[in-house]
Amino acid sequence: MMLEIVFGNARHFRDTARLAKRSRNVATGIACLIVLAISGQAQAAPAGCAALQAKYPAWKGKTLVNAINPHTPGYEAIDPKDPSKYVGFDIDLGEQIGECLGFSLTYKAVTFAALLTTLSSGQADIVISDIYATEERAKAADFITYSKVFDGVLVAKGNPKKIDGINLSMCGSAAAENTGFVEVPLVQALVPQCKAAGKPEPTMQLYDNNANCIQAILAGRADTYVNDVNTVDQAVKANPDKLEKALAVTIPYSVGIAVPKDKPEFRDAVMAALIEVQKAGIHKELLKKWELDPNNFKEPDILSVK
Amino acid sequence: MSLFVHYLSLPYLIEGIWFTLAVTALGLAGGLILGLVLAAMQLSRFWMLAAFARGYTVIFRGTPLILQMVFAYDALPQIGLKLSAVGAAGLALAANEAPFIAEMLRAGVLGVDRGQILAGQALGMTPGLLMRRIIAPQAIRTMIPAFGNETVSALKNSSLASVISVEALTLRSTQLASSTFDFFSIFFASGLIYLALTTGVSVIQLLVERVLDLDRPAQFRLARLLPWYRAPLAPEPITAEPIAPTCAGSDQAVPDTAPVRDAKVSRADRTRRSATLTRNDAVVEVSGLYKAYDSQAVLAGVEMTVRDGEVVALLGPSGSGKSTLLRCINHLEGWDAGTVKVGGRRMGFREDGKPLSPRDLANERAMVGVGMVFQQFNLFGHLTALENIAGPLRWVHGVSRADADRRARELLERVGLSHRADALPRHLSGGQQQRVAIARAIAPNPSVLLLDEPTSALDPELVSEVLEVIRRLTVEDGLTMIISTHQLRFADEVADRVVFLSGGSIIEEGPAHEVLTSPRNPVTARFLSIMEADRPTAAPA
Repeated sequence: MMLEIVFGNARHFRDTARLAKRSRNVATGIACLIVLAISGQAQAAPAGCAALQAKYPAWKGKTLVNAINPHTPGYEAIDPKDPSKYVGFDIDLGEQIGECLGFSLTYKAVTFAALLTTLSSGQADIVISDIYATEERAKAADFITYSKVFDGVLVAKGNPKKIDGINLSMCGSAAAENTGFVEVPLVQALVPQCKAAGKPEPTMQLYDNNANCIQAILAGRADTYVNDVNTVDQAVKANPDKLEKALAVTIPYSVGIAVPKDKPEFRDAVMAALIEVQKAGIHKELLKKWELDPNNFKEPDILSVK
Repeated sequence: MSLFVHYLSLPYLIEGIWFTLAVTALGLAGGLILGLVLAAMQLSRFWMLAAFARGYTVIFRGTPLILQMVFAYDALPQIGLKLSAVGAAGLALAANEAPFIAEMLRAGVLGVDRGQILAGQALGMTPGLLMRRIIAPQAIRTMIPAFGNETVSALKNSSLASVISVEALTLRSTQLASSTFDFFSIFFASGLIYLALTTGVSVIQLLVERVLDLDRPAQFRLARLLPWYRAPLAPEPITAEPIAPTCAGSDQAVPDTAPVRDAKVSRADRTRRSATLTRNDAVVEVSGLYKAYDSQAVLAGVEMTVRDGEVVALLGPSGSGKSTLLRCINHLEGWDAGTVKVGGRRMGFREDGKPLSPRDLANERAMVGVGMVFQQFNLFGHLTALENIAGPLRWVHGVSRADADRRARELLERVGLSHRADALPRHLSGGQQQRVAIARAIAPNPSVLLLDEPTSALDPELVSEVLEVIRRLTVEDGLTMIISTHQLRFADEVADRVVFLSGGSIIEEGPAHEVLTSPRNPVTARFLSIMEADRPTAAPA
């Protein structure tokens, strides 16, 4: 009852009731809110940004469109408490870069596979959406890499198929993946290997967002889902009695910010701003805020192919 | 359950409805406009337009909407057309709905009774007028259920716009599910919202059907909300008794004020009459009329002149070309050779001999004045008896509503149907319908009235009421008429002249009584003897 008085409106009461049901500590939640509010204020634009705004004035005062696939809590997803907002590490990082260069961001939610098409058709100016920078994708956009990749292997509780990575343990199992994910060709590459080992081939189920992949395991349609380790952890946290993380695997890619190929100046500006943001320690702070592994941190590189 | 209720009332999801509705509304409105254009092109006389519309239909009906959405969103910007997400989704949905809506429109238009269109043409209605007054009002009524279906399907299809970032219900649901992991509560909630929306569409559909239902009394129909509705100027008469005092209460009866003709006397009169008629101007002149379907001649060189005030009975076996000849006279059908003149004008051709456009032909029909009565009555199904008569007077001849109504009531009274003025054709007997049709045909004072087997579709007991109306027209109005009929006795009574057609040629013609009682051509004689039962007996010496 106290809570109702404190929050004073029914929606918050329902929210908190739900939180309580999910064994969340309400007090921690409130504390987190306070911390967020404070940390948000603390992160003022780093010192070098003024110089950058002078060097790259074209984006100052502009509102740019960030295309995201908001299905990865921790990186980008809508705020369950205020669904009109997107929250996550990528969102914060993007806003920091924007603040540094003097632009603000609006968001356009698309499927994962449509991220780069949306960018190249001009419907978006930038993509900061936990997208792995691969040579293949770099044909469609330039990337500024900012994070190392660690994948987790999500399986049903107890790991009945004894899957321990993208290897022969996956033979004969059904893998759920998002359309366009880099894990897709990795699992497909197992087909000839399994055949050679005299084992049944793995099968692939393609969905268009994380939630559907996770549901595929919960419904018993798929045996595993390999994705960013944080995403896997979040899924396990939401369904601790039905899912578990089998193992973390290293994937030889980096996560990158995608920008149009025909705007090298914008690419350079974003990279310079990212360096400023990292120098000010904001990048690492954000990793901590979103409970991500600090080992993800990576100094930026540009991936650009003809 | 509480989670479900929470999501059901979550403003974030509720607001998603507006995106869903916006895309649906854009898709339907655009689809309707585009569909109208496509349907018009497909129904057009110009084959290039029809072929283009066909091609469009094949492409946009044959590819998935989801591809069209992605195309509108991601490919159009390459040619400089950058639409908002909702705009692109609306455009794709409109482009996708258009062929379906066009087919609905086409089916609705083609579903309108062909006879009513012929009747409208015969009354001098231009194609545009026909579409607006006759075809559209009836087609729209039949299309409402299909349009309801299409609306529901568009509403559901709008969910595909989530692939191009339209924050519709579906996209909001999946995003919410991704961030909260409350997969089922959220999708049940959004499913229920969709269900509420589609139920709303069904309710609207049923209401519209009810509003447009012709069988409901007018004050409940709200038909007055329709753009073509005009409020009646004159109050309805409080009582509308059948006119015939002798047969009060029986609407089958026609007041027979004409004296019963004494055959002998009238025949003497008619000899005098035909002498006068031969001096009258020719109203209809047909010469060398030839028409063939494939290589089968239907009219093989018909020569015929009908003079002012003359009543000509066209006789002949079925398929002898009677109906075709009548339709050629007012150019409802074309022909291959020969000329038809009505009132001295070559119907359907310009001064230089080139054919008139359908629109100009309609205006010419209205000007020259060729009334036509059809075997199947062909009353306009959505209009009352009164409107069937008054409507064309207003639309074609520009008569004021008050004058048109007065004329219509006058004519309904003459055919003994003033008490049925507000009845729809489907609530009238065949005989009553044909009487209304005759009133409609003579309302604009045509210079010649063509009657194409006016009693053939009637039950035997209803034939006499219609014949009586026609008989009175000949006596009271002195109207020029060409009647194709199988009623020999009737032909003998009313016709000045009989023209006997066989195999597309006139094989015998002459004064009615003479031909009917003592035919010279063996074919005529054989036909008349088959129809023996109805054959008039030779006048006693």
